[in-house]
Amino acid sequence: MDMSAALALDGVTKRFGDVLAVDGVSAEVPRGTIYGFLGPNGAGKTTTIRMVMSILYPDAGRIRVLGNGNPEAVKDRLGYLPEERGLYKKMRASEILSYFGRLKGMPAGEARSRARRMLGEFGLGDWADKKNETLSKGMSQKVQILGTMIHDPELVILDEPFSGLDPVNVELVRNLILDVKRRGRTVIFSTHVMEQAEMICDGIVLINEGRKVLDGTLREVRQSGEQAIVIDYDGDGGELWRLPGVARVNDAGKTAELFLAEGADPQRLLRLLVDRLEIRRFDMREPSLHEVFVRAVGGRGT
Amino acid sequence: MSRVLLVAHRDYVQNVRTKGFWFGILFFPVLLSAFIVVPRLLEGTKSARRYAVVDESGWLLDAINRRISVEDLRLALDAAVERAAAPERVAALPAPLRSAAADLSALTSADRMALAAVLADASHEDMLSADARAVHTAHGSALGAWWSTASQASLRALDIPFSFTRYVQLPAPPGPHAAEALGQRVAADDLFAYFVLHEDPVAGVGMSRYVSKNLTDEDLREWFGSLATSEVRERRLERERIDPGVARWIQTPVRFDVRKLSAGGAEESIGERDMLRQWAPVVFVYLLWISVWSVSQMLMMNTVEEKSSRVIEVLLSSVSPVQLLAGKIIGIAATGLTMVLSWLLAFFLATKYLPGLLGASPDLPLSTLASDPLLIGSFLAYFLLGYLFYAAILVGLGSVCNTVSDAQNMMPAVMLVLIVPLLTMVPIGRDPNGALARLLSYVPPFTPFVMMNRAAGPPSLLEYVLTTGLLFASIVIALWAGAKVFRIGVLLTGKPPKLKEILRWIRAPVGMVPVRKEAAQ
Repeated sequence: MDMSAALALDGVTKRFGDVLAVDGVSAEVPRGTIYGFLGPNGAGKTTTIRMVMSILYPDAGRIRVLGNGNPEAVKDRLGYLPEERGLYKKMRASEILSYFGRLKGMPAGEARSRARRMLGEFGLGDWADKKNETLSKGMSQKVQILGTMIHDPELVILDEPFSGLDPVNVELVRNLILDVKRRGRTVIFSTHVMEQAEMICDGIVLINEGRKVLDGTLREVRQSGEQAIVIDYDGDGGELWRLPGVARVNDAGKTAELFLAEGADPQRLLRLLVDRLEIRRFDMREPSLHEVFVRAVGGRGT
Repeated sequence: MSRVLLVAHRDYVQNVRTKGFWFGILFFPVLLSAFIVVPRLLEGTKSARRYAVVDESGWLLDAINRRISVEDLRLALDAAVERAAAPERVAALPAPLRSAAADLSALTSADRMALAAVLADASHEDMLSADARAVHTAHGSALGAWWSTASQASLRALDIPFSFTRYVQLPAPPGPHAAEALGQRVAADDLFAYFVLHEDPVAGVGMSRYVSKNLTDEDLREWFGSLATSEVRERRLERERIDPGVARWIQTPVRFDVRKLSAGGAEESIGERDMLRQWAPVVFVYLLWISVWSVSQMLMMNTVEEKSSRVIEVLLSSVSPVQLLAGKIIGIAATGLTMVLSWLLAFFLATKYLPGLLGASPDLPLSTLASDPLLIGSFLAYFLLGYLFYAAILVGLGSVCNTVSDAQNMMPAVMLVLIVPLLTMVPIGRDPNGALARLLSYVPPFTPFVMMNRAAGPPSLLEYVLTTGLLFASIVIALWAGAKVFRIGVLLTGKPPKLKEILRWIRAPVGMVPVRKEAAQ
């Protein structure tokens, strides 16, 4: 088997008029992993992905997809879910899946039978012959994602697959992604919600304002930062900011991530906290991706 | 199957499934059938105008009735001549007319009129010209016998517009109070109208009367009135001892023998068919206009649908924008061709068989039109060329729209251009090789319609070559520009760009994507 990286970006640059959308991004995604392209809205994630899909072409730099320097040549081995996505309303679910399959070069009969099998496998068997306009939002999202996988691609690229989904469907999409990995394929997805990435990614590429901020496996990325204290609490979160020895706070209302100032003592902090708030958990661990990101881009939030 | 054909196939299948498509397929045949069937049905059901005449002169009504009979017989003779050219139509005629048809064709229409008068016993054989007399000798007795014994029902079946299919004369009651009795019947809608003929119409001192509840429909009065006038005029001439032959000669208008100079320079006399040919292109321009407009609009709406349902970028992960564009254009062209061919087939079948099904003789001039190779050929060719031209423009515009209403906002501009061939349709039909026609032929957006319009001319071969060449070049440019706008437009969200912006995209080198800020994530 070809063991080259699933995706290798080398100094990829894209300019839209006066706007430098992607600025010299280099990164590598190994095969058989799940990688997250993270960054705030407008960071250049979608433009990067569109270049990988040969929908746009880079102004400079090189893109190798599945070991091939010409991404266009391997298009049929990729699956792609764009951020702006939808289905033909008047087509039936099984019809559109097999159409997507055939557009990727599958023979008609195979595409048809595989479309039906996939719909059955993912609980949409009863909907195979229903028009897409009758599907619920979650179901059509499922059909769209199945559409990216109908031809069993070696690399699946999902642009903001979780956006606009309720928790049940988020769970469902997450399982679909894990399923692809279990079959030895590679998944790249973009998101601006760090928590999504934290849960399933093997590695991440952080992008901000068109530039890569950092990349690597999740472990590497986290270990590069300092230890965080995570608490679950009830009470006035404003107190956290006034504690002596605390350098930074990421407060989410009921849980918070605290970073100590140089030389401060965690034990002393715990005592102070217990006096002021109802503490239900006190934990020391690697920093969250959110924290890593905020640090890396210099205090700008997501 | 190649990706382009896959896209084309999907678009074709999906469009053929829509109600709009079937509406389009059925629209024309239904219209055409209605055109052929409805008048006949109306004719069948329309109660003929019933009228009665009180003749105070005592002689005029009888004379008018003789004229009606002569007139109807002349119609029968004329029909025999007109149908003589088509064997299957001649066969439907009664035997005496059928055998006389060829000889009757040799007569002038004045001779046929005179012959009809003799056959209906309204005139003497001496009044006939030598030619007409020969026909009378050969066929007179058979024709006369047929005419005097033929039943109204058998005459109706001939599909000749005899007067009794429109106007039915009922006897007036005798006695001095006839007019009052008739007045009541008119009031009760039993009669359409009644006439009271003056006691001395020849003197011209008093007036005859026409009484009806309906004064907008004057057909009956004009028809009956002109017959009465002719009769009275003849009586006056007689009274003044002016020979009717002389009178007729004096009244003869200057006549023109209308001939058409064909492209080869040969003169041909023209008939009904030639008139139809002259104006048939106008019908085809209408059809062409409707089909080019609706089919290229279908393509635009298809593109807008793909954008508004956001399926387009999914497609772009498998096909290039140019493949997608080509597939769509081919798919919709196939949809349009299916529609147009079904129209032509319906036209052909309807004109050939529908009248027959209704028991009438086939509409020969129309069915020759429906199989005229020049008309049909140029219709199909100009449909494809016109479609490609407008498709390229509309697909470019469609690609920058995100909603149907965006697209609708752009329509008036396109409409403004497309209205021109409709406005010039009649002037060009009247003068197919005039300056206006020639000029507009060279304006590519109008070329398909104007050249179709001129098919009766027809334009010279050189003109066909030049205008088609120009149109072809424009199509290539339009497709190239449309493809450039399409590549950029399909990825665009938000407000549609201004025309200026679109023009800048067209000028920008290929591969360069001057997308606006909000799209640059």
